[in-house]
Amino acid sequence: MIIIGENIHVIAKDVSAAIRERNASVIQGLAREQTQSGAHYIDLNVGPMKKDTEETMKWLVNCVQDVSDLPLSIDTMNPVAMEAGLKYCKKRPLLNSASGKSDSKSQMLPLAKKYNCDVVISVMTDKGMPPEVESKIESILETVAYANELGIPNEDIWVDPIILPVSTAGEGQNIAVGNLEFIKILQDVLPGVKSTVGLSNISNGVPAHLRPILNRTYLVMLARNGLYSAIADPLDEELMALMRGELPQITDLIYRTMDGEEIDLSSLSQKEVAYVKTARVLLAQTLYSDAWLEI
Amino acid sequence: MEYKAPKEAYKGVVREVTIGKGDKALKIGGENILPLHFFDEGSLPNPPRFALEVLDMEPADKVPHLLEPFGDAISDPIKWAKKCETFGVDAVCLTLVSTDPAEKDAPADGAAQLVKRMASEIKKPLIVYGSGDEKKDAEVLPKVAQVCAGENLLIGPVQKENYEVVGKAILDNGHVAIAQSPLDINLLKELNVKLCKFLPPERVVIDPLSSALGYGIEYSFSLIERVKQIGVITKDSMTMMPIIANLGDECWKTKQAK
Repeated sequence: MIIIGENIHVIAKDVSAAIRERNASVIQGLAREQTQSGAHYIDLNVGPMKKDTEETMKWLVNCVQDVSDLPLSIDTMNPVAMEAGLKYCKKRPLLNSASGKSDSKSQMLPLAKKYNCDVVISVMTDKGMPPEVESKIESILETVAYANELGIPNEDIWVDPIILPVSTAGEGQNIAVGNLEFIKILQDVLPGVKSTVGLSNISNGVPAHLRPILNRTYLVMLARNGLYSAIADPLDEELMALMRGELPQITDLIYRTMDGEEIDLSSLSQKEVAYVKTARVLLAQTLYSDAWLEI
Repeated sequence: MEYKAPKEAYKGVVREVTIGKGDKALKIGGENILPLHFFDEGSLPNPPRFALEVLDMEPADKVPHLLEPFGDAISDPIKWAKKCETFGVDAVCLTLVSTDPAEKDAPADGAAQLVKRMASEIKKPLIVYGSGDEKKDAEVLPKVAQVCAGENLLIGPVQKENYEVVGKAILDNGHVAIAQSPLDINLLKELNVKLCKFLPPERVVIDPLSSALGYGIEYSFSLIERVKQIGVITKDSMTMMPIIANLGDECWKTKQAK
């Protein structure tokens, strides 16, 4: 599993302040920590970045590259910031992200070709987020075909099905199940493409101390279905250990839950029970509530 | 070829809950089929029950055609409740509006005494709703529960902000709780999980909040449908409770009704 470290993110107050004040030590600290934790890419989520775009991106990219040899993922919806970022990358970067929206097709995808980089393409279109697995597939087929015409091969495309919070009343759990299905069939539909997800979004809105187990369990499930990469928190040691295959008994329990096995919880440790319960929630076998581990 | 109608059987059973005691005892819930699915395997031992509402103070802004059938009784909650009984109700629902800090902010003691008197003077089981102010209800509802110990009243709303104190009083004094959450199935389940850590689930009734036509009735309807489906079809223990819809106030406060 390729882990794209998510921690340099403008929504974090210290990060946005550090960028504004050109405080290299905060940014470089996060870059170092993520590199040491075994991340494969470092994501630079800079938001829309309307002011001093060129200069800020140059500073930020170089600031990270000074302390880490990892390739970068430039994460912005602003094509000007995107190009400014891509330009200064020493290693082949990841353009994060393009989509099936008209402006993204006309402004982002050509950048991926121009800078010969990998590109995340999400299932979004001008109509918004396709609701069902079938309509997501339909939409991504169309956008990937468009990218292919521009000269971007499937191998450079990282498809993103868009993860939404599992706690969203009504639909959250069904969407989580749908995205597992989407990742499972992706290779049959678009041979050679890679895939990625914004993992932490699965637990958005959930009490902070309960988020990691949702993220970890969902990533194990997605990995089993063939997911190639995830934008995630590499500082979550248990998440990284799971991805390195160091917790086989947990992985096995999650797989067995996915296979519909009735697992006897009484013989398990508290931690194992928590993973099984979380898998059940993510598979929509039981209705979500913030108290899912307490039942 | 002969046509054979499909017949479903379900895993879940809505818990049967009893409110009121002795001759007054009334059972609700207990079904293991979806609503109106009488063609499926299972039964609905207790059909939906019907209560009329009584307020603990004379309503200030209620519409004349709503008040008219009750005549003078409207000025006395006990008379009002007895009048309701003459209309063939299954239960009476008293709302302690006067305790609302935004109304008279009436003290808990008086409210509890009124509930006690009403419970002893009417022949039908009594449902008691607090004002809905979660802080004030945390004073009023435990008092009601204590003063009326053993009456097996249906008391609410128990909300996420006050479930511990109100739920505990309901448990200790032998009543049934109305667990209320704001039109959200995940929050509804969470409240039931927390409440049922100390209160037996046979003593919980779900109030998912109801809305009037034009004011979100579709949300209420879909949510109630979903609670039933998840309980009866998937056997989710924390949604297998009977549902109460507290409709009157929601409907009559709309401007179209006035």
